[in-house]
Amino acid sequence: MRIVLDRPRCEGHGLCEEAAPALMHLDDDGELVLDREELGDSETAAANAAVRVCPVAALRLS
Amino acid sequence: MSRPRRVVVVGHGIAGLTAADTLRAEGFDGELTIVGDEPRPAYSRPALSKALLRDIDDLASHTLPPSDHGAVELLGVRATALDVGRRRVVLDDGETLPYDGLVVASGCRPRRLGAEAATGTGPGTGAGRRDDALALRNLDDALALRERIASRPSVLVIGGGPLGMEIASGCLDAGCDTTLMSLGPPLLDQLGRWLSDLLVDAARARGLRILPADAPRPPADLVVTAVGDVPNDAWLGSSGLLGGGRLVVDSRGRVRQDVVAAGDVAAFPSTDGPRRTPLWTSAIEQARVAAAALLRGDDAVPYRARPYFWTEQFGLSVKAAGVMPAAGDPVVVDGTGDACLVQWPGAAAAVNYRIPVPRLRRLCETAVA
Repeated sequence: MRIVLDRPRCEGHGLCEEAAPALMHLDDDGELVLDREELGDSETAAANAAVRVCPVAALRLS
Repeated sequence: MSRPRRVVVVGHGIAGLTAADTLRAEGFDGELTIVGDEPRPAYSRPALSKALLRDIDDLASHTLPPSDHGAVELLGVRATALDVGRRRVVLDDGETLPYDGLVVASGCRPRRLGAEAATGTGPGTGAGRRDDALALRNLDDALALRERIASRPSVLVIGGGPLGMEIASGCLDAGCDTTLMSLGPPLLDQLGRWLSDLLVDAARARGLRILPADAPRPPADLVVTAVGDVPNDAWLGSSGLLGGGRLVVDSRGRVRQDVVAAGDVAAFPSTDGPRRTPLWTSAIEQARVAAAALLRGDDAVPYRARPYFWTEQFGLSVKAAGVMPAAGDPVVVDGTGDACLVQWPGAAAAVNYRIPVPRLRRLCETAVA
């Protein structure tokens, strides 16, 4: 499973970082950086939480 | 406590959806049923008064990823009563749903002004017909408003809170002559003087006319009200669960052992007593706690209010964390003018300034320099 970021949609709320700090973070410019794109089974729950919390649906799993 | 085998979630907004996701993430593999009064999947409500209203070409700004909780979704159906003794939810289609764990996430609806106050006086308002005033709560409301403002009517927005201001901003962007009536300065009660002044200045610069609530009503083709919300708890009226007319929960979202609540409908403990916090992130955080408490009782981590709020209006994007309204002038931590990061004791805000929420929250907890 992978995380996919729709960058133009991202507004930099960073709620995803809070939900899955091991998988993503906002850099110093407030741009979202995916630290891990390919996910192991143990990371799916955190990734789902990050996807769900985004109010502009900029993240999805594929 | 014994773990439930059959959970019903009443409400299909972000609180209900998050509760369902959390139940599964916490290992609940029993029967899960979600009841939603709208005939559609859950969506992002904050987008309705922001991107959906503003970006006329984008009809997808409110969509959320598809769910994978495997619940039975009963959509377009409303809960009408709850029998806590027999553990049954009664639906408006005549069905009853048995449960051994219940999540109440039925949200809220717009407060409506009385018939007299909502009487339109201008052309096109069909004087006296109360239903002429639109309100914005769900997707249908937002689509109706989008459609109405596309023909550039003159608009009167009643209510100077964040929702009213976002609606006014969207109407101005659509090219509508727009007036807003507000009880006191817009946003003052919610955000404090500094942010209120900033946003009101930006609104006026874009052409928003602001009138006090007791001024004579100007004529307008379209009236939109945004005067607060009322929790959807009438269906709980005969259940005995409402305390003082409210659905009061404990710090883990519990009304009783087998009933939890989250989101706009639920009054959680706060330093000011039980309080509803009708915000997106609060609904999510409360739903996580409540779902965990339904499965694990006292072992669930209690809810800790960490309000995060954002608004987009009149060309400004404001993100705020901590205790609002913020009193007095803030210290500017970074940036200047219309793009800055500011801090008050116990609160912080970013104006047209991208910052991770964890950093914004940390700033709330740091002493002001």
